Amino acid sequence: MTICRMVYNLFMRRWRYILVFCSCLFIFAGAFAQRDRDRVEQLRVSFISKRLDLTNAEYEKFWPVYNEYNDKVKAVRRNLRQSYRKKAENMTDADAEELYQLDMQSKQAELDLHKQYSQRIKEIIGTKKLVRLRLAEEQFKREMINSIQQDKGD
Amino acid sequence: MAANTNIFSKALAMASALFLTVGPLAAQTAYDSLKISLPKHYFQTVIIADFFAKPAKKLPDTIDPVGRHLKNYAFRQMNLSFYTPLLTQNSYGADSTIIRNSHLLLTGNYTVLKPVFRGLPEQHTLTKIGIGLRYIYNTGKKGVWFADVAPFITRDITFESKGYLRLSSTLVYSHNVSDRFNWRLGITKSFYWGNRYYLPFIGIRIGRLDKVNLSIQIPRSITLNIPVSSKCIISAYTCPQGGLYSFSNKDSLYYNKNDKVFHFTQYQVNTGLRVDVRTGWFNFYIATGISTRNNITFYSEAANNRLRAHLPYNKYFFSENSPASLFLNFGLVLKFGKARAFYNNKNMYDVMDLNNTIGDNSGNTQIPLIKKQRKEDQNLRSIQDLVDYNDF
Repeated sequence: MTICRMVYNLFMRRWRYILVFCSCLFIFAGAFAQRDRDRVEQLRVSFISKRLDLTNAEYEKFWPVYNEYNDKVKAVRRNLRQSYRKKAENMTDADAEELYQLDMQSKQAELDLHKQYSQRIKEIIGTKKLVRLRLAEEQFKREMINSIQQDKGD
Repeated sequence: MAANTNIFSKALAMASALFLTVGPLAAQTAYDSLKISLPKHYFQTVIIADFFAKPAKKLPDTIDPVGRHLKNYAFRQMNLSFYTPLLTQNSYGADSTIIRNSHLLLTGNYTVLKPVFRGLPEQHTLTKIGIGLRYIYNTGKKGVWFADVAPFITRDITFESKGYLRLSSTLVYSHNVSDRFNWRLGITKSFYWGNRYYLPFIGIRIGRLDKVNLSIQIPRSITLNIPVSSKCIISAYTCPQGGLYSFSNKDSLYYNKNDKVFHFTQYQVNTGLRVDVRTGWFNFYIATGISTRNNITFYSEAANNRLRAHLPYNKYFFSENSPASLFLNFGLVLKFGKARAFYNNKNMYDVMDLNNTIGDNSGNTQIPLIKKQRKEDQNLRSIQDLVDYNDF
């Protein structure tokens, strides 16, 4: 009973501050919700984990390499997208040529990264599981697109 | 014929070697020519603001004049701390399938502590300010090494006492038997139990860090973590909280008035429930429970043998345990900057957890929790890194 009374007294004395603090927390929490892309990335990782069925030894080596590959590919795509966005309006001929070159370079870099990391991943998990990984990536993409299309249809 | 075969096999070997060397080099060239900068570090810069309070409790009846003078004891503390990555280095194993990395972090903290004694005419505000370095090495196999050095200065700012420099440090080896089981062994010089103690560090964890897990980290904490969603974790925990501070002798609590400052240690064992809410870069937690073994002790510097400069103080002029009380603890955890991805990388999860367990408990906000698919996550913008127009 004494403890309850103490808590009650503490909250009664400070209830305004506590109320303001809690309100601020929830407003901030809503305003700065986790970015969509991070959330999808978490979903994708969990989707692929379930499909691959890796052994402990494979699991330990695979994820650091696969994360590194994803970081690089995403950075290449983001870089290209941002460049398009920057130069989309009032594009000069020089800008267009620059964008064309960047597009070619990006596609080449993606392909090279794909080859380089596929080789490394193949050494870790074997060809069969590597193919299963690519299928899982495609399947995830498909499911996301279908789900969004259905959503728009609704 | 044999000679021809020999030449052919040599040529084949050279061609293979050339292919293997040129392949990765070509990949490097195409990617490098884009001059894309990836995030350098795995750690984000994190700022933590922590507030802790417990209500006044009467000090037990005693014949001690100091205890009679102090009357009762309440406790409030605010702690601001941060860590930021200074250096991250990745290296590869011989077969390029193992990624090792080392991390150097700069840490800092500023604590304002207010022990409230009703019997004193003016309350003391004690501070602790420190800056330190933390080094974590992930071997890429099973082990992670952790070293932390954190010098700090304590002062009684109400009476402008002289600063007192101290040092806390920790060295731990952490072994990930699997993602579900981990053990740790090390040594720590810590003030968590009030006095200056050199303690062995022994820890085990059962369960994945991104799922339900039980973590026993002696002498730091025992915690049962239950993620209820990808944004919320509920934990039941018990942990010591304490420190050693400089306390001005302005009130003549110590009979020898030549001693301008003495040492004040406090510790308590907090047992309770904590809710961590993660929303991205802005996170917060609220915890409450019972605080037991609320000990306060006053040590005179002069009375303790100077030859025992590195050992715990053993001569005190006042020591008392106040009765158990409730406590309230809440905090904000702000994360800044971009970091590299380390999904399902159990060693990196352990790196983050070591930093969290031995540093300020910010709630492991960088370890992603397993997420279930929900409608609100799905929109075209969120998958633009994954798809091409041909996919539609």
